[in-house]
Amino acid sequence: MIAVVTVLGLVAAACGGDDDGGGGGGGSETPGADLSGGTLRMAMLADVTAAFDPQKEYYSVTWEYYRCCLLRNLMSYQGVPTDEGGADIFPDLAAGEPEESSDGLTWTYQIQPGINYAPPKEDVEITAQDFIRALERTADPKANVGGYSFYYSVIEGFDDFAAGDADTISGLSAPDTHTLEITTTSPVGDMSYRLAMGTASPIPPDDEGERMGVAEGHTRNYGRFLVASGPYMFEGSDTMDFSVPPKDQTEAPGYVPGRQIVLVRNPSWSADTDDLRDAYPDRIEVSIGGDNDDLYNKVAAGQLDFVVDGAVPPEKIREYQTNPDLQDKINIYASDAIRYVSFNLAMPPFDDVHVRKAVSWAFDKQGFRQLRGGESVGELAGHIMVNSLEDNILADYDPYQTPNGAGDPEQAKAEMAQSKYDTDGDGVCDAPECKDILTITDREDPYPEQSALLIQFLEPIGLTLDVKQLERGTMYNKCNDANSHHALCAGPGWGKDYADGITFGEPLFSSAGLWESCCNYSLLGASADQLSGWGYDVTSVPSVDDKVDECAELEPGDERFQCWSELDQQLMEEVVPMVPYLFDNSVDIISDNIQNYSFDQFAGLAAFDSLAVPGNTS
Amino acid sequence: MGRYLIRRALFMILVIMIVSFLTFLIFVKLPAGDPARRAVGRTTTPEQIENARKAFGLDKPLYIQYWRFLKGFVPWPGLWLNDQVYFSYGSFEPVREELSRRIPITAVLAIGAAVIWLLLGIPIGILSAIKRGSLADRAAMIFAIIGVSMPIFWLAQLLLYTFWFKLELLPASGIPIGYTGWAGALRAAAEGRFILPWVSLAYINAAFYARMVRGNLIETMNEDYIRTARSKGLSERRVIYKHGLRGALTPVVTMLGLDVGLLLGGAFITETVFGLPGIGQLAVQAISTNDFPTVMGVTILGAFIIAIANLVVDVAYAFLDPRVRYT
Repeated sequence: MIAVVTVLGLVAAACGGDDDGGGGGGGSETPGADLSGGTLRMAMLADVTAAFDPQKEYYSVTWEYYRCCLLRNLMSYQGVPTDEGGADIFPDLAAGEPEESSDGLTWTYQIQPGINYAPPKEDVEITAQDFIRALERTADPKANVGGYSFYYSVIEGFDDFAAGDADTISGLSAPDTHTLEITTTSPVGDMSYRLAMGTASPIPPDDEGERMGVAEGHTRNYGRFLVASGPYMFEGSDTMDFSVPPKDQTEAPGYVPGRQIVLVRNPSWSADTDDLRDAYPDRIEVSIGGDNDDLYNKVAAGQLDFVVDGAVPPEKIREYQTNPDLQDKINIYASDAIRYVSFNLAMPPFDDVHVRKAVSWAFDKQGFRQLRGGESVGELAGHIMVNSLEDNILADYDPYQTPNGAGDPEQAKAEMAQSKYDTDGDGVCDAPECKDILTITDREDPYPEQSALLIQFLEPIGLTLDVKQLERGTMYNKCNDANSHHALCAGPGWGKDYADGITFGEPLFSSAGLWESCCNYSLLGASADQLSGWGYDVTSVPSVDDKVDECAELEPGDERFQCWSELDQQLMEEVVPMVPYLFDNSVDIISDNIQNYSFDQFAGLAAFDSLAVPGNTS
Repeated sequence: MGRYLIRRALFMILVIMIVSFLTFLIFVKLPAGDPARRAVGRTTTPEQIENARKAFGLDKPLYIQYWRFLKGFVPWPGLWLNDQVYFSYGSFEPVREELSRRIPITAVLAIGAAVIWLLLGIPIGILSAIKRGSLADRAAMIFAIIGVSMPIFWLAQLLLYTFWFKLELLPASGIPIGYTGWAGALRAAAEGRFILPWVSLAYINAAFYARMVRGNLIETMNEDYIRTARSKGLSERRVIYKHGLRGALTPVVTMLGLDVGLLLGGAFITETVFGLPGIGQLAVQAISTNDFPTVMGVTILGAFIIAIANLVVDVAYAFLDPRVRYT
């Protein structure tokens, strides 16, 4: 989630456009034309976050590089939008759908035979043990720094291995080279989704038979020695020599941190074994660094095809939306993320649900969106979980709907009048707890302006704010720190990790997401001891742990969608831990050279391998 | 001379230590939030935070923490920016390697810009001084005032937009994929990819230098020894260029040494706007990602270069100005 939101922070900061968040130009694919070949030229303002180490990279941009190009998983995605099946997973290295035991605790995956790694391991077949190796590395606290190992704690013995109390993960076994068996401690319906993320992609063995295979000796930087299994690899990967001690090994020259990424075709990959990837370009060149506006000028001039992590300047959005010649070069899709203002339920006056509801009624969502750039930045949010995670069950649901989404002061006052903090019942909070409420937000635009608006529309119900503007990372740390005793966290956003409600439900609202883990800023589910330990006078807060657990156990499908939507409604109407105000959009522009575009709903970015540039020469 | 150099070197070490200690304090002790927690990301476990804390030595007393970094300042194999401490947790590689990869770009940028601003600034300053009050003088000073006042990021954007995007006369920003090392930097320079960055950087400095040379030359031309030279019957041209300029340009050497040293430590804005993968861009990236070891590495390198440039300037100054002695 951290990764997704970081990118969204950039993307959403300066956009305008289409309210339905769906669709775009998509390039102009010529039916029957051969789209393969050419060099795709992309740019990134900043490098990936952990130099491509799969156990550390928790960043949507890197996840797209993995999905499209570098790494295959047991299960994966097609690199298309939700309405084309982009939220669905399919067998990738797996030979078919997994078998699940009747008790829901054991999953068995058969692995396609005869699929080999990229050079220099082109003679090594991908086997079940390679997935176990990856998951063991995922459990290693020295190797998984910044990663998302929590998704795999449910595997039997995973936590013991992580703690150094076991030599193997007891819940992982390979009955034969092409069968992987996974046993969990409790039923999880979304195991295949968890195995579709980069950290679970196979790591090949090394020549010495070391436990971590080719990652042995590269605890800090395996990404620099990454052996690919997807249609591309770092240029020069064949020069890596794993037969020498790790300290004498040299990295593939195709990735120079902070400078450039060059991907070339993996000669071991065959389209015959891979139905999920287009793999159109022959070569992908990515420069790192530069100025946002300048990079988009380069796209407009055709000197660059795509900017991966930029924010399309508002004037460019207007130009591309209004010029008929350019309209098929702009792409706007829902990126499956929300922006919200979160309440700390242990901090008065937000320990009172009526105060939280009053804020929900008063909230000027339209104003917040306007400050972010207007309609194209996204759809006003009426609930918490993005619609794709609930199969659109709550698409029209908004328990706090107000005219034009601009807030309703009268409804807000009526709600505040029921609060214990409004002693005279006039709809205006008169308790001292309502004054100088500690509010933490991002110091970057548009958050300071949003805070000013927040102050403005909360004043009529008697709430005044003491706003602290912080650097983004610090803000998130403070919001996550129960000891900080903030009452409102006004700058966060959240994106899905994969297309399932658990990626919202568990980290945001269950006790598993409490400090120092991440990112239950409302402290839902905290025990009395925890609250006391953090120095709060409030002794109890609501919990939705049971509902989260109930949903997590269900199989993907209608019942699970329904369960998440019920949790969403419970949160919106009974618990009210936050005010969601925007479902974010992703806005891209592409160069004239691109003849095909596809949006990958999994990463919330363009599917790089589907950007066809047959005419581009290096 | 020997004693002078030793004293200057000791002073240089003291300056570097002060700079490094301040940087250390700013990045390790002053930021809100735990550096270990910032390093491991938002979604993490207490164990990982503790591991990071140990890995960075943040569990040790402050003086030991600083000592770990301090050892990296010693220009000796195994100590200088050693991998144990100076290991980027952004790029996951030794900071030393990253710096050495980026130095060619920064050096070509700094040296090229310096040549241009000297070629522009000194003649304009001389012209302005010897034609004091003339139209040329006024034009030169307008040039200088605009240069001094113009924000470099704006000038850089303006130049890019005009000469690349609109007129298509010069290459776009950035260094092409595959242009690595000194050969890559020089190749990019030969293809004109540094022209706009050079001009952006040079214009502002040229303006400063023009003003400085003008002021110095006007002041020098009123000195007694200039009057003496005139009274000996030397031509005005000879008085200006042989006697006046020598005195007027001596402070320029000091400025030049420090300015080039400063730029070698990273031209932050120019490199960022023009997408040049040099030391300045690295510093910006490292600061924005809280990559503390890299920030320290860049700071140490910058302080080292500036201190050495300072030393060279001081020594050179004594050669240029007979009044200065090594004492």
